[in-house]
Order: sequence, then C-alpha cells, then structure tokens
Amino acid sequence: MYLQVLINGLSLGSVYAIIAVGFALVFNILKFSNFSHGGVMTVTAYVGFLAAKHLEAPLVLTILVAILTGGLLAVFAEFVAFRRIRRNKGPVIYYFVSSITLGILFENLITIFFSTNFYSFPDFFETSTLKLGEVVMSVSDLMMFLISCTSLIILAFIIYRTKIGTAVRAVSYDFNTASLMGINVNVVIMAVFFLAGGLGGISGVFLGINYTLYPQLGQLVVKGFIASVIGGLGSLHGAVMGAFLLGLVEILLVQIIGSGFAPVFIFIIMLGFLLIRPRGIAGINIQEKA
Amino acid sequence: MDFILSIMVFTSITVIAVTGIFVISGLTGLFSLGQAAFMAIGAYVAGVLAVNYHLSFPVAGFVAVLVGLLAGAIVGLPAIRLRRDYIALATFGFGEAIAALLNQSVSITGGAMGLSGIPKKTGIELAVISALICIFIVRNFKYSKFGRQCIALREDELAAKSMGINVTRVKMVAFLLSAAITAYAGVLYAFYTTYVEPAMFVWTKSAEWIIIIYFGGINSLTGAVFAGILLTSLPEVLRFAAEWRVVIYCIVVIFILNFRPSGVFGEYELSFNWFRKWWKHLKEKKGVMR
Amino acid sequence: MKKILVVLLVLGLMVTAVGCGDNSEQKQSGDTSEQILIGNMQDMSGPTSVWGAAVTSGIEMAIEEVNAEGGIDGKELKLITYDTKLDVQEAINAYNRLATSDKVSAIVGPPISNIGIAVAPVSEDKKVPLVGSFLDERATTKEDGTPYKYMFLMQPSAGQQAQIMAGYGLEKQGLKKFAVLFNQANAYSVSLSKPFIDYVNNNGGEVVIEETYNASDKDFKTQLAKIKNENPDAIYAPNYVQELTLIVKQARALGIDVPILGGLDAAPPFADLAGDAANKVLFPNNFAPDEPQLQEVYNAYKDKHGEEPLNKVFIGYDSMLLIAQALKESGSADPQAVAEALANIKELEGTTGTISISPDTHRPYGLSMVMFQIEDGKYVAKERYLTEGLK
Repeated sequence: MYLQVLINGLSLGSVYAIIAVGFALVFNILKFSNFSHGGVMTVTAYVGFLAAKHLEAPLVLTILVAILTGGLLAVFAEFVAFRRIRRNKGPVIYYFVSSITLGILFENLITIFFSTNFYSFPDFFETSTLKLGEVVMSVSDLMMFLISCTSLIILAFIIYRTKIGTAVRAVSYDFNTASLMGINVNVVIMAVFFLAGGLGGISGVFLGINYTLYPQLGQLVVKGFIASVIGGLGSLHGAVMGAFLLGLVEILLVQIIGSGFAPVFIFIIMLGFLLIRPRGIAGINIQEKA
Repeated sequence: MDFILSIMVFTSITVIAVTGIFVISGLTGLFSLGQAAFMAIGAYVAGVLAVNYHLSFPVAGFVAVLVGLLAGAIVGLPAIRLRRDYIALATFGFGEAIAALLNQSVSITGGAMGLSGIPKKTGIELAVISALICIFIVRNFKYSKFGRQCIALREDELAAKSMGINVTRVKMVAFLLSAAITAYAGVLYAFYTTYVEPAMFVWTKSAEWIIIIYFGGINSLTGAVFAGILLTSLPEVLRFAAEWRVVIYCIVVIFILNFRPSGVFGEYELSFNWFRKWWKHLKEKKGVMR
Repeated sequence: MKKILVVLLVLGLMVTAVGCGDNSEQKQSGDTSEQILIGNMQDMSGPTSVWGAAVTSGIEMAIEEVNAEGGIDGKELKLITYDTKLDVQEAINAYNRLATSDKVSAIVGPPISNIGIAVAPVSEDKKVPLVGSFLDERATTKEDGTPYKYMFLMQPSAGQQAQIMAGYGLEKQGLKKFAVLFNQANAYSVSLSKPFIDYVNNNGGEVVIEETYNASDKDFKTQLAKIKNENPDAIYAPNYVQELTLIVKQARALGIDVPILGGLDAAPPFADLAGDAANKVLFPNNFAPDEPQLQEVYNAYKDKHGEEPLNKVFIGYDSMLLIAQALKESGSADPQAVAEALANIKELEGTTGTISISPDTHRPYGLSMVMFQIEDGKYVAKERYLTEGLK
C-alpha cells in the first residue's frame, strides 16, 4: 500500500518538478516570482491540444510544438511585461504585479477563445496502465516522469556545460559585471525565458493530458512556487527536490487526514519552513539588497 | 432604481476592501494574497453569529471585526518577518487554509453549501457612509506618522531601520488595520447578499484587488478608490463587453506598469489645496474691486 | 470635509453614468399592455455557459409555440435574458433588474443552486416568481421547512435525485456496498451525497467508505486507492463533468471495475470526454431521446440547431410551460397571481415527465427520472424510476 502512495507521490512530484524548474529559472536570473509562467503553460497546453486533435500529431511532435510555442510566448512576455521595468530599474515588486497580470490576461484570453468547456486530449497511449506487482502506475504518469527527468538532465547539461549556460550563470550572479565582461545580457535573458517557456510547454501539455484541459490550468504554477520556496529560491536542483517533496507530502496528507484539512496542514508546514529555514533545502541566501 | 442601488452598495463594499488593501500592499508594500480570507472571516463570523446565535447586526459585526483583527495578528506575527516574496506565499497559504476550514466545518458554517438566511441589514446609506469613513481613516493614516513610516519601509527597509523606525511594529499595525477594514467589508457584504459561501473568497480576488491598487497608483488613495469604483461599476455599463473586460484592464495595467509605473494617479491626492487656492483667488479679486 | 464632498461627487457621477446606461435598456422593454414579459437569468458566459445557452433555447422554443397558438389571452410572450456569469452578485443584480425595472411577470432561473439560494430572500422582497432547476432544497424552502413564496423548482431536488439513484442501485441493480467520492467544497456535490448516504444506510445497504476532495484537486488516486481497499459494489460520484471524467479515468486505471453512479453530469457529452472509462456508469436523467412526450420538441431542436438537445433544453422548455400554465390559470400577468398559480400546478405534461408542484415545498412530487447506463460509449436508457417514498 505504501509503495503505491510513494509511486503516486513521485508522479505528482514530477509534474510539479517541471513547473518548479521553469519557475526557478526565471527567479534565478531576474530575482522575482514569475506568475505568468502559469499563463504560458495554459496557452501552450491548448496549442498542443490543437496540434494533437486537428493535425493528429503524435506525442513527440506535440511536445515539440509545445516547447516551441512556450519558448516564444515566454520571450514575448519578457519583452512586453518585464523589459521596460528592467530598463527603468523599477522595484522588484513591479515585476511581480506585471507577471500576475499577464498570467490573468492569458487565462482570460483562452477563456474567450475556447470558452470554459474543458477538453480531453486524444489518447496517446495504447494501454493506459502498467502493473508492477501490487503497484499500479498510469502510463502517462510514467511518461511524465521520464520526460521530466530527461528534460532536467538536458537542462543541467545546457546550464553547466555550454557557453550560453555559463553566460546564464554569470548573469544570475551579477547583471552589471556580466555585461561588463561582454556578455549580451538581453540575449541571455531571452534565452532563459525561452528555456523556461519550453519547460512550461512540456508541463502544460502533460497537465492537459493528465488532468484535462481547462483555462485555469495555469493556476498550478502556485505549486511550482511552493516547491521552489521549499527547495530554496534560486536553486534549480532545490526546486526539483522541493517539487518531489511537495508531491509526496501532499499525497501523504491526503492519505492520512483526508483531502479536507490538507491545505491547512500544508500552510502550517510551509510557514514553519519559512520561519525556520527560509533559504530552503538547497537555497543560497539571497539578501534583499539594502 | 433598485438595481442602481445594488450596484452602489457593491461598489461601496469594494471601495472599503480596497482601502484596506491600500494600507497593506500600497503604502507598506507587503504583498498579501490572502486578503480575501479576512473578508471571508468577517463575513462568516458575523453571519454565523447572526444566524446561529441570533446576535444583532451591530454586535455580530463588531465581534467579526475583532476576530478579523485577531486573525490578522496570528497571521501577521510570523508573516512580517518573512521576505517579500515569501509573504505572498504565506498569505496565499493562509487564504487556502481558511477556505479549507470553512468548507470542512459544515455544521457551523454550512461548509461548501454556504451560509444562508443572514438578515439583510446593509442599506445603501450604511454602505456609502462606511466607505466614506474608511476612506477618511486611511487618508489620515497615510498622512500620519505611521503612514510615512510605512512608505519609508516600503521603499527601503534597511534604511528605514537605520533611521530608527521599528519596522516590525509598523508592519504589524498596517497588517492589523487592513485586516480589520477588510473584515468589516466582509460583514457588510454578508448582510447584504444574505448568503455567503467559501468560493466567493478565492485568492484571485485578492490578486484583483492588488491589481486595482497598482492601477490607481500605490501612493494615491484617491487612485485606489477611483480604480475600485471604476472597475466595479464599469462592468455593468459594459455588459456587452463582459468577456473582454478583464482582458482590457489587464492590458491597461501592463501598459501602466511599463510606461507610468506610479499608477494612473501617481502622487496625486484629492485635497482641498486647489480648492483653497481658488477660493483665495476669488477673495483677492473681490478685494481689488473694493 | 471638502474632500469627502468631492468623493461623493465622483460617486454621484459614476452612478449617473450607470444610470444612463440603464435607461436606454428600459426603452427597449416595450409596452407591457401588448405583451407579457418573461425574465430569464442564465449563465451565458463562464464555466456553465453551455447549460445557460441550452436552457434559453428550450425557453425560446416553448415561447414560440405558445405565441404561435395565440399567446396567453391574446398577448404575446417576450423574453428578456440577463447573464449571471455564475456569480451570485451578478445574479442578484439581474433579478433586481428584471423585477423592478423590466417588470416581468415571472422569471426562469438557472440550474445553479448557489444562485438559487442567494436569490431566494431577495424574491421575498421583490415578489416576482422564479422557476428554476436549482437542485438544492434551500433554494425553495427555508430553514423551518416553509417554502419561499416566490421560488419554484421544476425537476427533482438534490435529495430526490440522490434517493432515486440510491434506490435504483439497491432495488434494481442489487448493489449493497457503496463507496462515495465527492467534492466537499461544492454545494451541489455535498447536497447529493448526504441524502444518498442516508438512504442507502436506511434501506438495507451500507456505505463502507466516504472520501472527499477539494475544489482544485485533479488527482484522486489516493482516495480511489482507499476505496479500492474496501471493495465496494459501486461508487457514487456526484460531481461536475470535469472531475467525473478524471475520476472514472483514474479509477479504471487503478483497476477499479465496479459500476460508478453519477448525477446529471454523466449526461452527454460525458461519454465522449471520458472514452472507454465511461462504461458501466449509471445515472438518472430528465429524459430519454425516444420518449413520446418530447419527440416534437426533440426534432424541432435538432432541425433548428443541427445537434442533439441537452437535458437542459427540456428543462428550459418545461420551466416555460409551467409559467405559461400559471399565466393561463391565474388569468393575469401580475407576478403575485402567477406565483399563487404556480404553487398549485398539477399534472402538467412536460417533456421531462408529469410535473405537479407541491404547495408545501414548491418542488415537484411524483416526478420520476430515466435511468441510463453507458455501454460501449453509448447511452442506453433503462427505465423511468422513482423510489416508493417519493411517489
């Protein structure tokens, strides 16, 4: 029984992990919580759905379409909502409000164009579940888990082994110095948003597959936020760990005390975490600039 | 006529809630995504006291505001020690926790089925007068020592501390004041619609209020009130554009954040200064003719 | 002081702006001496807009028929529709507008319980009858059991529908042990689950496990795993379509093979959305496509709109029939007279069955529902059913 709970927790965790990493990427670079990530996820999920349904695209193609859409949309978001604030050196809070507004905007646009009916992705997989002994796992959960891990490995490779990755890390330490070193900060930021958007695309499509497609899909970005915080804002592997932890904790709470009081307990746990170890599991201490 | 009255009442209630948010998120810059929860507390406590214990409207309302204050203290104490981003998360969690509690306590609050049968006591006079009083209170708060301290710590917390401002205490006062005002708005709301349910007080409502503040200008109470009135009563006039309404005001907010970050009203506050000058000007003219 | 005056001025300006917007609407509502005005408040936008549109089509079809036969006492019926956007505040505004500025004789309400409950006290004040399909009993009767004078329900209430489902399961399907999975943050879900559990436990069955989830939950595997452990004969899941789709999919994925009992939400297009997982789902519906009493309306709708009518279309149609009948019987377009006539309607042959309103509860009695089972992705109508206690 508990093995099943573990498996459920891990698969939920992998869903959260991809969201959290997309979220953490932007936080790393620009030091703010990008709530428009949710909106990007929703839009790409719908685009993916259109591709799957009307163009009869197989899973891999749908995911590629989603990555592309997500990436482009995120870059567009950066341009429209965040670039000017950066140029004007506005306070961090403006990024936050801008991102929430953009997120709400995307959600409502989707509602207008698709109405609030919800849609089911066509079935991509032949069999829908796998049985490993006592434990049951759905194929889409397994795929999500595998694709999450793969994407994270690819991301890690990009960040730690490529030139652009090094540039990203440099910019996240210090904007100005990086640009003094000849790094084109704008391009780097666009690249980061593209990556984040791409990840958002993958998570959007999988959320749509697992949980049907509806305009409020993007609100799951809050889970990504929580996971990032637990794992330590500013750390990518922290975000991943935080996500898996969050998934497990949620499943456990539901198992033990039922779904009713789960939000209350999660709130208490979170509050405790924030007070006792605000930098999270793996976070670096980011001081608010004086 | 009745219908217009009803819009005016809802608008006044929103204005009250907006003044509350203005104190905490505008002046003090603390992002509270859980303000709707205070409104819920105000509405439910007053409602339950009236329906189950048959307390009179003023008594129930008074107790509800006190409970709101208490809740503000409980949440505020840990929350104000957190970093800016974390405050949003903590208050968000608080909002979710309250919603979950309200849903669970079916015997007292009716749970998801809502609480009905609250006597209708809020009249148009009470609503408008309350709104005016709240505006007056918050205005005086803004121009008082506390208000200036709030603005100082919003801009630069470290500098404020080094000036000798007891940052923790100021934040707490702001938090309590806004909790009380928002709870009062909840009381009025409950006694007008006579039915409340947890789904009315979601975090997206808190986010909307914050957007209203940024639209009007975080330094301008006039802006906040004006934005609140505009964005509540406008939908009625624009019924035909209902779907696009949210999209339009999101786009407007993004524009404002990009090009006029200080908000529509900037630093402007309705005051008697220009009135006085005009009056003086008139008097001088009369004097010349004498 | 001056500042407050200025603020008041601004408020006043806003009100005038709104007022101007409102006046132009009034001119359109027309001369009431030649027409009888009927109000319609539905969700025309928002998550339940499909229902709102369906109910409105049903109402419009009924009005067309009545007008074609000469109207009521020679007067034509005219419909005024407002969008409630699944929002209680909007609904209260809409009701007030219809009752006081448009001065309608009666209003058709939405199939949304929260709105019904919120509008009920307002209706006592404004005295215009509202005929709706809101299942929650609190929309039609007060705490003490007396009915709201101006609220009427025209389909079996939540308690009745839950009983019908439970009774059918126990009596006709031989099911004994039940599990219940419901959304504890949703009034609809809760108002169906409680009576179901009570009925089963009092009539020879046993609810072996109750599991709940919250509004935004999309993952029910934990709850379903617990349910699976208890080995029930069937699961009752009275939830909205979106959650129901996920529940059946996840249940089947976990290897749960027993029948799943639902509410009205299992009606089309649920089977398409849930695919194979929808098989072995049982639920009560207001109608079956081949029943004689609705063939005319069914075909007329299909011709007009090119698709199958949802159950909400018939609900709209019957709501309007009830109002038309009340108008005839009372001989007047005065809302209070219509309300009195509505309370006493007996044996009205509607598309959803024979409707008789009980003056004690303002809800129908003796109204059965058609039990459906989904087999191989298709809806198979079994029979009309009503538990003994409700006849």
